Amino acid sequence: MRALLAAVALVVMLGGCVSPAWDDHDYALKAQETTKTAHSVVEMARLAVQHSTELHGPYLKTVLTDAAVDLGNVAQQFGGVQPPSDASDQVRDRTLEKVQQAEDEIDALLIQLRRGGIEQPRQAAARLEKLAGELQ
Amino acid sequence: MKKAFAVTLGILTAFGGFVDIGDLVANSLVGARFGMSLAWVVVVGVVGICLFAEMSGRIAATSQRPVFDLVRERLGPRAGVVNLSASFFVSLLTLAAEVGGASLALELATGVNYLLWVPGVAFVAWLVMWRVKFENMERIFGLLGLVLVVFAVALWALGPDWGELAGQLTSPPQAEGAPTYWYYAVALLGGAMTPYEVFFFSSGGVEEKWTRQDLVVARANVFVGFPLGGLLSLAIAACAATVFLPVQAQVESLAQMVLPVGLGLGKIGLALVILGVFAATFGATLETALSCGYTLSQYFGWQWGKLVRPVEAARFHTVLLVTVVLAAALILTTVDPVMVTEYSLVFSAAALPLTYLPVLMIANDPDYMGDHVNGRFTNALGTFYMVLLSVVAVAAIPLMIATKAGQ
Repeated sequence: MRALLAAVALVVMLGGCVSPAWDDHDYALKAQETTKTAHSVVEMARLAVQHSTELHGPYLKTVLTDAAVDLGNVAQQFGGVQPPSDASDQVRDRTLEKVQQAEDEIDALLIQLRRGGIEQPRQAAARLEKLAGELQ
Repeated sequence: MKKAFAVTLGILTAFGGFVDIGDLVANSLVGARFGMSLAWVVVVGVVGICLFAEMSGRIAATSQRPVFDLVRERLGPRAGVVNLSASFFVSLLTLAAEVGGASLALELATGVNYLLWVPGVAFVAWLVMWRVKFENMERIFGLLGLVLVVFAVALWALGPDWGELAGQLTSPPQAEGAPTYWYYAVALLGGAMTPYEVFFFSSGGVEEKWTRQDLVVARANVFVGFPLGGLLSLAIAACAATVFLPVQAQVESLAQMVLPVGLGLGKIGLALVILGVFAATFGATLETALSCGYTLSQYFGWQWGKLVRPVEAARFHTVLLVTVVLAAALILTTVDPVMVTEYSLVFSAAALPLTYLPVLMIANDPDYMGDHVNGRFTNALGTFYMVLLSVVAVAAIPLMIATKAGQ
């Protein structure tokens, strides 16, 4: 029984670990994974914003809050991996800048939503689409 | 006429009660990442749950005793305690996921953070288990869960390319690796064959005093209600495949899971799907908590059930209270409820043989079953499933580690 509990605890802990980047290639793969996740989050937000007039305010707020939190987590997790070389520094800056842009855009939409609703949903969705494209 | 009504009501309740947080999460995740290429797992899971739920219902109706009562008698206390530990742990984890799911549904409806809803959900769940009659409790939330049919309506309204969806059935996306594909296959099977469903079905049969005459109703519930629930699971996956797969968006939260309904049916559809998710997860909260109480009480031979007064089943009701508090406490640690659900699905898959082997053994034992013992076909199918579930159980944890829980 103890062994089972220890195994379960180990599995859960391993799941929460961030592995280090061994070389530039590994770091690039992590960056790719980060942009892929951020792309997914931004696409979700875009779908909701594009149809924001057909969705309830509390629901939209939850979707956008989740998106902002997810982007923050993605940036924090990737930011925690140390780049192994100068070349990787550039990858790091580019990746984090794009994720930050997306986070800022969603934060701005959340502020609009709190003040009465998203002002220009179509334009906001287009901006998110562009950001999602850059993250792909 | 009265019997037809009872059969219809039972089928609708089984249909509405089939989908819980595990099915919602697994089908949405899989639909968004793999399209319909894992739909076959839902079919395998539904056939499996029908097979074993029918057996456990037959055991309850024939012997007037629930499965766990017989497990200890048939397998002995040592093997029984392994079975009990695994089943109880999985049910407790599932309970936490359901409490989290119901709280998240309330957040979607109100915009108030789900953590603030967790104590309220836990308290009301305990109150319902304490005060509401078993039959009413089962039917109200089962029937309200039917509202989730909006996923099927939304799929129609979204107007997917049906040919494309059909094409996905046989071709998984190239971008996903084989281990991830099989990891989600395991999770999907864990979602369709969650152990608590069998404990609840079997113990519910005893609570409702089923006899051999009730077997027709029980079988109709299982063989019609569960497959309809399976179709609903496929509709959830198809919605995700239609909306998310083309833009390569992965589902991470409950809010995202219901988005296709909002896009297809607007505000009314969204309100209905949130109601349906709440009913499904709150109903499953009651079922999983009761399953925890049932398994523990039946193993130790305590008085149990909602038909006896709480004072006469004090230990059973204490277990209900403690498990609900533990589940709420786990979610209040701010652990992501969707992640808890994913872990519960995989651990559920790993524990499947422990849950289903005793059911197969008892249903095949003439001493307990008399002339209602398994036939050849049922035994052959049951044995096939035991082999399959054993393979799944062995593969579940290594796949989880290898894929970093499906990342």
